[in-house]
Amino acid sequence: MNIAAIWEFIAGDSRRAPVAVAIAIVVAIVLVRTAPASSIAGVAFACIVALGLAAAVFERT
Amino acid sequence: MNGWTLAGTSFLASAVEAVEALTIVLAVGVARSWPIALRATAYALLALAAIVAVFGPLLHLIPIDALKLIVGIVLTLFGLAWLRKAILRYAGRKSVRNEDVAYERQIEALRAVEEAQADKIGFVTAFKAVLIEGLEVAIIVVTFGAGSTLALGWSAAGAACAVALVALAGLALKAPASRVPENTMKFVVGVMLTSFGTFWTGEGLGVAWWGADLSLLFLAVFYLAASAVLVAIARAPRTVRA
Repeated sequence: MNIAAIWEFIAGDSRRAPVAVAIAIVVAIVLVRTAPASSIAGVAFACIVALGLAAAVFERT
Repeated sequence: MNGWTLAGTSFLASAVEAVEALTIVLAVGVARSWPIALRATAYALLALAAIVAVFGPLLHLIPIDALKLIVGIVLTLFGLAWLRKAILRYAGRKSVRNEDVAYERQIEALRAVEEAQADKIGFVTAFKAVLIEGLEVAIIVVTFGAGSTLALGWSAAGAACAVALVALAGLALKAPASRVPENTMKFVVGVMLTSFGTFWTGEGLGVAWWGADLSLLFLAVFYLAASAVLVAIARAPRTVRA
């Protein structure tokens, strides 16, 4: 099994969802270090992931 | 983390994989012979046990925060892929996977090949299906149970119940697994996987979740509501400008 097959097995055929998760991770890392409460980073992560899901639903694959 | 929640999530996720494996085993059993299908299943389970025994303990060498981060990201991606497909199917933008069709295709393919090779192909088909779906169940068990030995126990118990229940259902019904509402199951599992993935990724990054494990429930409600809204939007007919 090659890397591409493993990746497709995990992430499916959407390109937007993995990009959203990557953005959410970067934003969460920044917010964990700078925000007054780390739970803000968690909320931001969840919201960006939900937006990524919305983008993936209307994505042409 | 609540053990019953963990076991329930592992149960649902494992049940989906078990139903897929059962469909192929049933097809091989009907098209060729039950001894071949059952022997392939038994060999696949032995191979699976060996793989888990060799590679499973290696996961404990990884620091727990790093493990939660990696597992969390994988679960989030996995959950989003399932959720996306389930939303598109509910919205009528993607055909609902019909296990009956998969079952009939499998039987047709098996009957089309030469008799001499059919038994061998039937064996390999059932073996491969059980091994791959079984590996997916093993990954689900290990990832959900990554937190502690107790969590691993709950996760394994949930998966074992699911596999046993699906196997019993298969033996009792001896019919394609399409009677299980697969899309509903995938929708619920997608919400749960995404919620667990978000929770663990957050913990891996150093997020102290409000309400600790209780936040899992809030995350599940949030993703469920978001998905329901997306189904409604995706289902709505598009207006065409004149």
